[in-house]
Parts: sequence; structure tokens; C-alpha cells
Amino acid sequence: MRNPSIIIGSIMLAAMIIVALAGPPLVDQLLFPGERPGMRGSYRPYQLDSVEHPIGTDGDGRDGLMVFVSSIWPSLQIGIIAGATSTILGVVIGFLAGYARGRLDTLSRILIDMVLVIPTLPLLLMLAAYIDRWDLYKLSLILGLFGWSFVARVIRPQVQSLRERSYVDLAVLSGENALEIIFLELLPPLLPYIGYVFSLSIVGSMLAEAGLQIIGLGAGGLPTLGFMIAKGFRESVIAIGLIGQMLLPAGALIYVFLALNLINTGLDDVFNPRLKTTIEGGD
Amino acid sequence: MTANAEARAGASAAEGQDAERREVFQYALRRFGVYLFTLWAAITVAFFIFRLVPGDPMNILLGNLARAEGRQRDAEEEEALIAHFRQIFGMDEPLPNQYVNYLRKAILGGLDLGPSFVEYPTQTKDLVFRRMPWTIGIFTTSVLLAWIVGTGLGALIGWLQRSRLSKLAVVISTLLQITPVYLVALGLIIYVGYTWRILPAGGPYARHLQPEWTWEFISSLLTHAILPMLSNMIVIGAGFTLGMRALMISVLGEDYLTFARAKGLSPFTVLKDYAFRNALIPQVTALAIIVGATLNGTFIIEVLFQLPGLGTLFVQAMGLRDFNTMQAVVLFSIFAVLTLTLIVDLALPLLDPRVRRTA
Repeated sequence: MRNPSIIIGSIMLAAMIIVALAGPPLVDQLLFPGERPGMRGSYRPYQLDSVEHPIGTDGDGRDGLMVFVSSIWPSLQIGIIAGATSTILGVVIGFLAGYARGRLDTLSRILIDMVLVIPTLPLLLMLAAYIDRWDLYKLSLILGLFGWSFVARVIRPQVQSLRERSYVDLAVLSGENALEIIFLELLPPLLPYIGYVFSLSIVGSMLAEAGLQIIGLGAGGLPTLGFMIAKGFRESVIAIGLIGQMLLPAGALIYVFLALNLINTGLDDVFNPRLKTTIEGGD
Repeated sequence: MTANAEARAGASAAEGQDAERREVFQYALRRFGVYLFTLWAAITVAFFIFRLVPGDPMNILLGNLARAEGRQRDAEEEEALIAHFRQIFGMDEPLPNQYVNYLRKAILGGLDLGPSFVEYPTQTKDLVFRRMPWTIGIFTTSVLLAWIVGTGLGALIGWLQRSRLSKLAVVISTLLQITPVYLVALGLIIYVGYTWRILPAGGPYARHLQPEWTWEFISSLLTHAILPMLSNMIVIGAGFTLGMRALMISVLGEDYLTFARAKGLSPFTVLKDYAFRNALIPQVTALAIIVGATLNGTFIIEVLFQLPGLGTLFVQAMGLRDFNTMQAVVLFSIFAVLTLTLIVDLALPLLDPRVRRTA
């Protein structure tokens, strides 16, 4: 487990989570005691960077730094909830598809491949058109519903190859039923791989959420990093000179993606060979 | 060898070719069957998503109308209006009939997907066709260019994996690959387009021009296309570079490469005919897989660069709650993605004889 990229990635991610959780109260208490930096109209809008406002104030008269730090946690939450939703759905479907044989197997493969190639953004937008009031959970669940096909696509062949190992045959012979085989024999060795897929799904969901915000169709009321970027772009904050209000949220997104990417590379390096050797060694 | 034996050998070779051709044909046929089935299923899913999601488009439409006119209709008048609109758009029938009608019109009626709600009686098909060239142009050009550049670059840095420059290239590509395409687009718009004013970053061509076959118009079109295509290319190209590098490195470890080198072939021949060709096949498959995901990015890029493509049409239609147009855009983009994927899949056996047998 001493894989440097997992360690660096985890530290980076942990640091971001700390900033996301501790940032808002800290900025509130330390920089603006007795004020309301996150309230609309607290200050004169579009103030340039200064000692009081390190990255200036935004168009609604809020402190830019306060807006930034309080945008991080909702973004991460959406990533985690949506990523978990699509991972759980994808793992269930991938297991069913991988465990089935014959015609059901062919059918499930076609189904997964089918959903995989359908461009999700228009469908997502279409759903967005029907929903009047977005909240974080609704948005996350819908994003999750569109992400499962990728998970199922990569889980299915893993299950298929595991299913053919002789220790599974042994389990069948010793009278375990299908559920026992899935949960006791097939799932445990795949857990690291599922972790890897989960982290990829988080990236995908955060990417999609910010994309929706940037073309102006996301959950308007949600204070996420994507929303801050979109708002900054619409108010052309860079032209005003408030570069931080755009670069910080964009940088934070890329930073989170980089951290997750490092964790993924590490998981891939560490667990893929181990997955093979433990399974084959157990034969 | 007698003439007789030679003839026999020739005949069996021809037979082998025949069998191979038959296999290719069967593969193509099966793949085409899957394509039609997927297309049908996608149309069905899109149709039902539209109708099963709560919220009646008619009510939303009337609500908009009332707001625009600044007066509230009484219930009776509203109901009559709704009934009238429903009849026009074929929504007064039960759902299964609507579905059958929809399929029948779409397939037999020459892609008749119904009129636009807002620009009635313009056919949504015409709206889509008017916008399609922009999307297809930006999308296919940038993806193909990204693929070519990425594959070449990836092969090169995979081949030179131990050099310092190649390690630097890996770090840079990783960073670019994880950057969302819209952030790259925003960065290009803000810096290249507005701050440094090197290239135009909004609209399809300069505002004072009309579409015509003049050099001025075409050059304006091309300079306006550079940034949107570049945003797509940077991110996708970085992905292809990393993918090709990984493929190349795994191919380089194979025994047949050591053998080719031992035979005394020149490094360039080994790279070109042994390593590159074998790494290329999964790379083509990768092209097919990312097509769908890339279209999403292209839609966002269109909106950001104000190009009149399908993505922009969709966003506009959504603002107006023009459900027929939205549905037509969804169907056409699904159709485009599936067809592009099909083309790549059918081209695969030309590159790799093994696919013919295993597929």
C-alpha cells in the first residue's frame, strides 16, 4: 500500500476536504468578525483585490473568498452522492450481467453498450427542463442515474473472469447459492476495483455538474464551483481585474480532479497485479 | 511443383479469401443489426423520457404564454387552447398510439419529427439540419485531428519512454487530460480571445459578413473555428496521447519486437511496421468509445463560443420549452454518435484481421 501516488492524492484530497469544511467558518470568524461576508449586498460589488477582500467582491456584493470556500463542499457533495449512485447501480447491473450466461449475457452486453454510446448531456438537459426547483440531492441523483453504464461496462468483464475461476466452482459444489457466491466470493476481490471506479465516477459527476452550470442550465441556486465559474464568466470578472474569482474555482476543480486521478493511477498500479495474483494463487 | 499442384494451391487460397470475405460480411451484418436495434431503443427511451417525466409541456407552454401576454386566461379558455395544441402536436391520443405514430412518421415520413412548438409550423427536422453542419464540422474535425496528433505523439513518447522530454510530456498530457474541456475553452476565450486579442472567440464568423464563397468570408470562418476546435483538441488529444503511449509501451515489451530487432531491422522499420501497427488497433477502438462523451463537450463549446450548432439550438429550445425541437436534437445527436461509432467499428476489420474472427 506504500504507493506514492495514492498517498499524495489522498493528502491532496484530504486537504481540500478540510478547506471545504473548515474554510467557511474560519473565513467568517477570522477575516470578517461580526460581518456577513456571504450575504448579498454586504459590500460594494466588484471591489478589486485588497487586504480586506483578498480576491475582491463579486457582483452581488459578497466577499469573493467567502463565496469560493463555501462553494467547495457542495461541489464535492454532488460528486460523492452522484458517484456513489452510479457506482452502486453500475455494480449491481454489472454483476447481474457478468454473472448471467447465454442469451441473457448477450442481451445485457448489448444493453450496456447501447446506453454507453448515448450522449448523456442532452438527456440530462431534457430532464433539467422539467425540474423547476433543483436541490443538491435531486441533481446528484439524476447525474448518478446517467453514469452507471460506464461502471457496468467495466465491472461486467471482471465478474465474468472471476466467475470462471476454480474457487468459484468449488463454492458452487459446496452448495452456496447465487447470492452467497456473489457477495462472499465475487464481491470481496473486486472491492479495490470498485473503489477505483467510484473515484472515476466522482470525477465524471463533478465534471458534468460544472458543465451544466457553465452553459447556464444547472441548478441555479446551488453555490458550487461550477456556478462560481459560470457567474464569473457572465460578469466578465477577468476584464474587471478580479482574476482570482475565476482562477480559484477553476483551479480547485482541476486540483480535485488531479488528486482523484493520482489516487486512481495508484489504485490501478497496486491492485491490478495483486488482483490477478491473489485470485490465481487461490486456485 | 507441378502446374496441377500450383493450380490447386491457387484454388484453396481463393477459397480462403472467399471464406474470409464471408466472415467480414457476416461481421458487418451483425454489427449493423446491433446498430439498428440500438437506434430503435434509443429513440424509444428518448420518447418515453419526454412523456413520462412529470410536468405537462402544454401547461408550461401556456404558463409562458400567459406571462408573456401579462394576463391570466380563465379555465375554460385554457382547456380549449390545450386541447387545440394537443391535437396539433398529436398528443391527444393514448401513449402507445403516440409512440407508434411517432415511429411511423420518423421512419416512413422521411424523418418527420413533428413541427417546432415555438417556430410552428417549421419542421424540427429543418431546424436541426440547418444547425447540424456546425456541430459535425467542429466535432469531427477536432476529434480526428486530436486523434492523429495524439496517436503520433503518444507513439513517439512511448518509443522514447526513457528520455526526460518524454516524461515531461506525460506530466503535461496528464494535466491537460484531467482539465475539463469547458475550462480550457473559457481560458482560451478569456486570454486568447479577449485579453490578448489574437483570435476571435465568439460567433461563427465576423458579424458584418454574409455566408458566401469569398475568401474574406471563408478566412473569417476558419479563424473563428480555431479556438473552439483547439479547446476540444487539447483535451481529447492529451487523452489519446496517454492512451497510445500506454499501448506502445505494452507492445514494446512483446517478444516479436525483440525478435524484429534481433533480425537487424532498422529502428524506424520496427517502430513503423511492428510496434505502431499493433498498438494502433486498440487506439481505433478508443476512438469509437469516446465519440459519445466528446459530443457532450462539443455542445458546451458551441454554447460558450456562440456557434449556431445543435448544442446552441438545444439550449435555446430549452429556454423556450420547445419540447419537440429538444427531442429532435436529442434524436439526431444519438443518431450521429451511433453512426460514427458504427463507421469506426466497420473500419476495424480492415486494420485487424483478428477482429473478423473473434467478433
